[in-house]
Amino acid sequence: MSEASGSGDLSSSWSSGAELPSTSRNGAVPQRTQSRLSSRPPASGDEGEEPEASGERPTQPEGAGDERSRRMIRNQYRELIYNVQQNREDMLSSKSNRLTEALEEANKLFSGVSCAREAVLDAQFLVLASNLGKEKANELHSEMTAFDSLAFAEDLLTFMGINRIEVEDNDSDSEGISGGYLPSNAWQKLGEETEKYFRRAPSFHYMLGSFKSDPPVPRQRIERQKKATGGEEKRAMPAQLKKMEESHQEATEKEVERILGLLQTHFKNDPDTPISFFDLVIDPNSFARTVENIFHVSFIIRDGFARLKLDDDKLPIIEPSKDNEGREDDRGAGARNQVVLSLSHQEWKEIVETYEITEPMISPPCQRNEDEMEIP
Amino acid sequence: MAAQMTDAHRRFLQVLMSHGIMEGSEARKLHRRCCEIHKVYYAHDKLDDFISTINSHLQPLFMQIRKGMSEGDGRAHYALVNLAETEITKMASDYTENELELFRKAMDLIILSENGFASSTEILNLADQLKTKKMKKKEAEQVLKVFVEDKWLSERNGEYTLHTRCIIEMEQYILSNYQDVARKCNICHSLAIQSQVCESCGIAMHLPCVRKYFRAQTEPRCPQCNDFWSCDIPGTSRMDSQSPSKTGRAEKSFILSPRRC
Amino acid sequence: MSQRKRSKVSGFSQGDDGDEDFNVSQTPTHSQVQRNLERRSQDQVNQKVSELVQFLLVKDQKKIPIKRADILKKVIREYRDVYSEIINRAGRTLQEVFGLQLVEIDTRHHIYILTSNLPRAEGENLRRDNQTAKLGLLIIILSFIFMRGNSAKDGAVWEFLRRLRVQPGERHEVFGDVKKLVTEEFVRQKYLEITPIPLTDPPEFKYQWGPRAAKETSKKDVLRFVAKIQGKDPTFWTSQYTEAEATP
Repeated sequence: MSEASGSGDLSSSWSSGAELPSTSRNGAVPQRTQSRLSSRPPASGDEGEEPEASGERPTQPEGAGDERSRRMIRNQYRELIYNVQQNREDMLSSKSNRLTEALEEANKLFSGVSCAREAVLDAQFLVLASNLGKEKANELHSEMTAFDSLAFAEDLLTFMGINRIEVEDNDSDSEGISGGYLPSNAWQKLGEETEKYFRRAPSFHYMLGSFKSDPPVPRQRIERQKKATGGEEKRAMPAQLKKMEESHQEATEKEVERILGLLQTHFKNDPDTPISFFDLVIDPNSFARTVENIFHVSFIIRDGFARLKLDDDKLPIIEPSKDNEGREDDRGAGARNQVVLSLSHQEWKEIVETYEITEPMISPPCQRNEDEMEIP
Repeated sequence: MAAQMTDAHRRFLQVLMSHGIMEGSEARKLHRRCCEIHKVYYAHDKLDDFISTINSHLQPLFMQIRKGMSEGDGRAHYALVNLAETEITKMASDYTENELELFRKAMDLIILSENGFASSTEILNLADQLKTKKMKKKEAEQVLKVFVEDKWLSERNGEYTLHTRCIIEMEQYILSNYQDVARKCNICHSLAIQSQVCESCGIAMHLPCVRKYFRAQTEPRCPQCNDFWSCDIPGTSRMDSQSPSKTGRAEKSFILSPRRC
Repeated sequence: MSQRKRSKVSGFSQGDDGDEDFNVSQTPTHSQVQRNLERRSQDQVNQKVSELVQFLLVKDQKKIPIKRADILKKVIREYRDVYSEIINRAGRTLQEVFGLQLVEIDTRHHIYILTSNLPRAEGENLRRDNQTAKLGLLIIILSFIFMRGNSAKDGAVWEFLRRLRVQPGERHEVFGDVKKLVTEEFVRQKYLEITPIPLTDPPEFKYQWGPRAAKETSKKDVLRFVAKIQGKDPTFWTSQYTEAEATP
């Protein structure tokens, strides 16, 4: 302890001047040492300050000090710096008090400093002394001033609101990483705290001007109906479907009913066995038919006559709804469920091979004009 | 000559810049806070003057703080917008080329739609038709999410419309690039994306403007042709005027792109 | 005279990356700039200043430092002879209008960043997004480096981050590819400098503060942060405190 106090005193003695510009640096020594030793300083000391506010030396306007005494101070600083540099080893020795003495001398000099030029020299000296002090501290292995990264990590976790589910004695497992999980906003919370330690410029974002705008050609006018009450139903449909919907409206309904009949027959024969969704919809002979089948089956699912889910192998299966109960469910929370399913020609081929589908489960409708859906 | 800017103005601008857009009451709070922090003159009713000082300095930089109304709830908003389209503004790095293309196509759909909404289905179907670089539907979904986070689009129940921020910044662009389709509100004379349209004469009105305009009238009549206003007046019935109209059956099931393989 | 300068300068334009040094001696002197300025119309120069401000704001969107070479090529172009005047005025505009500062973080290669001149107020209502969370990760790494004596080995940094549930090989739910974020994004933004340690096998790396870190924050601020988190006074860490207070 007595050895360590050397390095402890030296830094607190000068530094208090910077932290609390109003007090004289020498006068603040005992206070500082005390606060360093006390376990928890008042919170005000380490939060509210803004970066700019702290660390500014009290300097009077240039020219306030007498030029001759200023020059003298500068000479003394330079001599002090030179001496410290020349006696590095001696300064670092744990038995020597010379670094402390040098700092005390600088403190005395600083009390006469009023202008920037001298303050710069003071800073120069301090950089030198602090580097030496750091080396000295390292040599002393002073436990008190060493940075304990483990404790820092633990404190960070606490700050981020870690939920320590494990009891303390349980977390000595892997290299002391303690148990528990961080809430999802943990990093956000830390980031928000961090903002005030940075002077990061906010950035400017815009949409206009970020792309090449076409020359203002008049757009192709889309006839907007005047608040057509019936128009609502049609509008938000993908174009291809809309086209089909209009020309094959009835055909679609018929086809949905036909497939539903087919499914119901299956379910009736074997009410507990779900059918593989792919087995049902894939037509190994026609990609277009497959797509149509998926389209038609989707209505059956939407209307609650069957359910689509994943089996234990995460493969889609279709199963009968348990009558009313199932349908009620779908009307409620599930009614808005929306699934985006894309199926490429390649994927279709792969499924046909993997599932070894040789025949369509849904036979093609008798005679239908497949012009729109067929792939060229 | 324009008034000098103070740190209060600069702080206000920085915070608005980080958000892109702020609701009126937030902006007023910020105004007050900035003046307090930097101890400059504050009067609660002087926000618009405060902003016009900033604007006079932004003008040479082709930027502006603009006030606009949310089409949903009619509340005032302030947005910091870019006014220029130059080689430099095209260097923006927020979005890739195909993301921007998707945005523009989505904007097309929204503006050309009747009610100012495009369904996610419609927009996602554009993803593999992009000229710059095709996108998977999954990616496109992610990109849409980012556009919503960045406040260029708003989403409700799977339907997308332009965010107030986007309308404020893009108003002139939309009015000139969609000359024949873009509508102006008959009441406030601003661009109207979501609007009600008169059945007889075809004029449009923002929903909040409709609400305000008909509030005092016993029988709603079109301000233009004086015909009976047959749309639901928002706020008068139980119908939630905010939610997009019901959509067709196909929309809620699968999207298919049978022509793509 | 200025003709000679300009032709010399223009030979430089092919270097897109601008990493080759752009010799300071080729920059026209102040009085030359003044003379050149007289030949240009005020409007043209002002226009260039506005464009440069826009350019700097656009380039700052991703916090990638801005190279003078890029500025010359994309904005200044034929106005090279009055470059210094244009960049000074742009810096002044950024300060006067936005409270932002144009800082040259590398005077040899002329690389610039923007920082804010306004200290963030307590509880300031800034936009909170993914960038906010990244800033949290960043200050932790900066803290670790500073507290360990301004340099830390990669192994130590990642061991420390692992304690905070950040694994280099795993996709992080907030940061995604966190290894990439730290070793590429933070490095490109000049928050961090990562240099290989010679003669190490397998290769080890040294993490240090990058020049942007020193401009956007300070040792003093980082120490304040550590102290706040650990519920101690900054003076607790004597040598770090000494150093922080001695660094401007």
